[in-house]
Amino acid sequence: MRVLEAGQNGLCVCVEDDGGARTEVMTDLVGAVGRGDKVLVHAGVAIARLA
Amino acid sequence: MKFVDEFRDAELGRVLASQIVAAVEPGRHYKVMEVCGGHTHTIYKYGVDDLLPENVELVHGPGCPVCVIPMGRVDDGIAVARQPNVILACFGDMMRVPGGEGTLLEAKAEGADVRMVYSPLDALRIAKENPDRELVFFAVGFETTAPSTALTLMRAKAEGVRNFSVFCNHVTIVPPLRALLQSPDLRLDGFIGPGHVSTVVGARPFEFIPADYAKPIVISGFEPLDLLQSVYMVLQQLAAGRCEVENQYKRVVPYDGNPRALAVLAEVFELRPHFEWRGLGFISHSGLKLSEAYRDFDAELRFDIPGVRVADPKACQCGEVLKGVIKPWECKVFGTACTPERPIGTCMVSSEGACAAYYNYGRFARERAVV
Repeated sequence: MRVLEAGQNGLCVCVEDDGGARTEVMTDLVGAVGRGDKVLVHAGVAIARLA
Repeated sequence: MKFVDEFRDAELGRVLASQIVAAVEPGRHYKVMEVCGGHTHTIYKYGVDDLLPENVELVHGPGCPVCVIPMGRVDDGIAVARQPNVILACFGDMMRVPGGEGTLLEAKAEGADVRMVYSPLDALRIAKENPDRELVFFAVGFETTAPSTALTLMRAKAEGVRNFSVFCNHVTIVPPLRALLQSPDLRLDGFIGPGHVSTVVGARPFEFIPADYAKPIVISGFEPLDLLQSVYMVLQQLAAGRCEVENQYKRVVPYDGNPRALAVLAEVFELRPHFEWRGLGFISHSGLKLSEAYRDFDAELRFDIPGVRVADPKACQCGEVLKGVIKPWECKVFGTACTPERPIGTCMVSSEGACAAYYNYGRFARERAVV
């Protein structure tokens, strides 16, 4: 998924690369993210950052 | 789309398929188990097995989290959902898994407040929106999903959300693999290792497979080319007489996993002495429960849970499918009494279940081949 909005408290808003619904995602496991970053999301948590 | 299109290139797929053909020894039969249900789904959806030579057989493993939940635990969830003032939240797949007392979806139709969520965080949000109700999250999944439950529990604790608890059914992947390797029913030549579990735990926990059982394992991504390349890597190891852990999914999986995720899991969970798996029976140290520090959030301590063990229906052969002993279409009720619309067994429920994947994508191809 792509980060749309980096929030506070370990949360961000992500969207699928091909569009689709926005999802709130926990980023505690990958550290700080910025808009446009790509992350692998599983059950609402980013488990890996994609290069 | 980056990370997707380049791994679905048909021409590259044909090249890999020809390399696989060249790598196999004529007259030798190869059995390779793909551990993860996500891999099973890709194999059938993209026809990966159609590109393999006849003597390379892919066997489906126990890595579908919904499929391995025993019926008794479903009944436990239904019993909690039927208690007054309870909202039970679970993933969508889980709602249709049959227990001895029906499904969570049927319990919902009968009046229980059962809600589908996409993440434990959604469940926590519902708890905060309903402070006068008890929210119970029916947690399932391997090490891929468990960090999400753990992080949500840490948030609930930090925010002082007292009406949130977890009915924990998280499991770990290594013990069932060890059980399968010790099973006399199954002769395997190698493994396609679970990509997303390995994102969390790394590749290192799988070193016992070459070390103790002299079998190769390749951690694989989930696109068709990932799987073809992983099969090729397993066959190359076999041809060279090697057995080791290789990581095909390096773009995502670090060899030592995600240390933050492992720390979170260690804080929130501890191993149960044993846990029941559908088709595999009780396996030591294969299930997680909440640690002492999170016992206040443990639904099994907060509610009366029947905890009755329920035998699978006699007609259902999910156990044999999960162990790779039979293929989905060899089950007596596959596609007749058991379909995705009216599943008897768990493997027909989830999209990661071998039976559902084969029913949705593979059965017509097989019918064509038979004709």
